[in-house]
Amino acid sequence: MSESGSGRPAVTAAALPSGGKDVLAVEARELRGVEAALRGRFQAFGYREVMTPVLEFADVVERAQEGRLRDTFRLFDGDGRVLVLRPDLTIPVARLVATRMADHPGPVRVSYLARAFRPPAPGRPRPSEQRQAGIELVGEGGPGADAEALGLLADSLRATGLEGLRVGVGDVSLTAAVLDGLGVAPSVRDDLSAALAARNFVEWRRLAALALPDGPGADLLRDLPSLRGGREVLARIASEVPAAAAACERLGRILDLLAAHGAADAVILDLGVLRDWSYYSGIVFEAYAPGVGAPIAMGGRYDGLGARFGRDRPAVGFAITLDLLHQALLAAGPAPEPARTGLVLTGGLDADLPAAAVLRSAGVAVVALSDGSPDAGALADAEGWRWVARRSGAGWAVTDRVTGAERECSRLEDVAAWRD
Amino acid sequence: MAGLRICVPLGALLPGSVEVLEAAGVDVAPLRDAGRRLILESPTGTTFITTRPSDVPTYVESGAADLGIVGKDVLRERDPDVYEILDLGFGGCRMVYATREGVDPTPAALEHLGVVRVATKYPVSATRHFTATGRQAEVVKVNGSVELAPLVGLAHGIVDLVATGRTLRENGLVEREEIFASSARLIVNRVSQTLRAEELDELVARMRGAGS
Repeated sequence: MSESGSGRPAVTAAALPSGGKDVLAVEARELRGVEAALRGRFQAFGYREVMTPVLEFADVVERAQEGRLRDTFRLFDGDGRVLVLRPDLTIPVARLVATRMADHPGPVRVSYLARAFRPPAPGRPRPSEQRQAGIELVGEGGPGADAEALGLLADSLRATGLEGLRVGVGDVSLTAAVLDGLGVAPSVRDDLSAALAARNFVEWRRLAALALPDGPGADLLRDLPSLRGGREVLARIASEVPAAAAACERLGRILDLLAAHGAADAVILDLGVLRDWSYYSGIVFEAYAPGVGAPIAMGGRYDGLGARFGRDRPAVGFAITLDLLHQALLAAGPAPEPARTGLVLTGGLDADLPAAAVLRSAGVAVVALSDGSPDAGALADAEGWRWVARRSGAGWAVTDRVTGAERECSRLEDVAAWRD
Repeated sequence: MAGLRICVPLGALLPGSVEVLEAAGVDVAPLRDAGRRLILESPTGTTFITTRPSDVPTYVESGAADLGIVGKDVLRERDPDVYEILDLGFGGCRMVYATREGVDPTPAALEHLGVVRVATKYPVSATRHFTATGRQAEVVKVNGSVELAPLVGLAHGIVDLVATGRTLRENGLVEREEIFASSARLIVNRVSQTLRAEELDELVARMRGAGS
């Protein structure tokens, strides 16, 4: 390129940093529709929206979750302190609730719709910016709170029109109780945890066979992360490992409540869902939808997180990744085209500005063009406006771009009554 | 819902893959007379996607396939975000570090140059091995005939996959260190693992039964 000769780096106008993406009008409209559906359900359960800054101190992220900083964009402030672009909303919202809402009588119900940032991973298509919608329920530690989080997740996802939803639910405290009950040594437990985090069931089975070669519980330990289903899973665990009976009973109670939430059919117990054992303290879950290769939502209980910010309260929550949810909705079928409405008015930018203003107050969007503009029709079709109009004698000539019909009217605001 | 989509590696692991799937009751007839087609459907609804072995994790990770069969060597190199469900037992081979026969040039290289130069098709595994053993290595990525590199002075040694060791011997190379043992693995997409739980559990149980 000629620019390289002048010493400037050659970046084409269309280039974006790796993992970046522009969102054009159609996608933005669809995303806003999805957001509105989610927000409506969050509000119906009494969750109030909060906002946090995009930049956080790196210390805050590190304090919440060890090792998390590795996967963040970092920069420095004027005093040389390390800042990060928030890698998720759970940590900032936990900080907000623990500090700004420390005196709230509780339980605290907050929601958010915001963007989180992660550096792109080499060789993998991953957006560096994710729109997330989520909730946190803080100060309520019982199974009712867990069931509400799961119930609201299913309810809000379905409100967007999603079908075929399935939520896999595991439980750190249940898995820990099983390992305790079977007498698995702490050193082995770290290795088992690492195998689970890597989703390596081959390694899990190898370690399990070493820790417990035979005898009661050997099969259960080997199969533990592969156990999926409903109550029969809990029944098996409770009968083979009495020490885990209380944890099973609690999960059973959550299943009862989910049935009352109308979400029982969407939920499957799955003890292989567990990831970070030190961060989560109870249930852990991931939501899946057909047509998308990664979970569209994740969540769980992290009772220890509030204490790390100075206010020890139990907490459960989830985050939905909007772009993946949108992808799942599109995979199920094309998004419904909104009915065309709005009017392109030639002259609305100058000579007929007053008529444009009247029509707008009558509730019709008016796209104003200057007097004499030749391309009203092309603009209306490109952007999906319904009518084009121009002054004609004492009245207006209006063309319907959907039907092709041409009409005359004396007052432009009559168009408002034509809406169907 | 449509049948499962299975990603099968072309090449050395193909016969074993066909065998293990057939033993588990999967209709593999379309795979046997694939010809040049890359996507094959069985009358029972199963779809087979055939790819290069190193692409199998990509298809499974993205959800283009529900499950796949791939060597552990590829998994170690790619580190994909998928479930590793079963060790299928076949396709056994080892990742090794090898140099020319005679005196091992590695200690001298480390002593005088500070680094050893290693040619490989598996830069991630090679780098990890030398880092883990506290040695500095310059890893040179090559795409084929790795055995050539030490013979012409491109590298002191190679990191490569060996089954019988015959290729090494024929090129005057000897194994110095074993890095890990590999075999074929069954991998499953994160979403399919839950959305298709019933079908997958049944298939995995049959594969486990057939394998042992």
